[in-house]
Amino acid sequence: MKNSSILVCISRILFPFILLFGFYIIINGHVSPGGGFQGGAILATAILITYFIDPERILNLKFLINLEKSSFIIILLIVSLSFLTRGVFFTNFVPIDGEIDIKKIFLIALNFFIGMKVALGLVSVFSTFIKEGGYRI
Amino acid sequence: MTRKIFLIAMLTSIFILFSASIFKSEKYLNDFSKSYYLSNGFYETGSKNIVTGIYLDYRLFDSIFEASILLIVVSGIIFISTRDDKIL
Repeated sequence: MKNSSILVCISRILFPFILLFGFYIIINGHVSPGGGFQGGAILATAILITYFIDPERILNLKFLINLEKSSFIIILLIVSLSFLTRGVFFTNFVPIDGEIDIKKIFLIALNFFIGMKVALGLVSVFSTFIKEGGYRI
Repeated sequence: MTRKIFLIAMLTSIFILFSASIFKSEKYLNDFSKSYYLSNGFYETGSKNIVTGIYLDYRLFDSIFEASILLIVVSGIIFISTRDDKIL
């Protein structure tokens, strides 16, 4: 992989801002356009920029996959929590005539975990390609 | 030759069916679900962005399987792209 010092410098400046923007998109998914999937894609690009900065440091793949699996299980648990309060699966766990501010907790939590899952999935796919293809070109 | 004839017949029938479904759909049009989401969506889901309200509350079942499809795709890609001597 060709690497120039200008690209590395600009990537180091841009990396925290892209990370911040991705988290902004995810956390504000219920008030402004965006949400878990879009913010997760932005977070994935932010993490992939680290391969420009240091191409020899590859993230631990097994750890990423384990984190993704556990976040999917957490999503399933949050979703099936509504069986205890409302009696049906796959809805908000706050009763339908509850406070709007409490209902937002469900949306924010689910957006966060979906975003984390999407970002980890894209990052692990790209990391596998770099790891198996070899970075010395 | 017969394959081509069958293909052309199939394509024309599909085209006729699609155009009939597009041009004769006025009597099936209604905006019940749109007006329902716009009037009740904020109070039932707590989301100002109605898209998030739909995909995280009304249609959450679809979102769960969307996420699970992503998990399956990622594990499949990792399984295919690793070298054979590492797996076996």
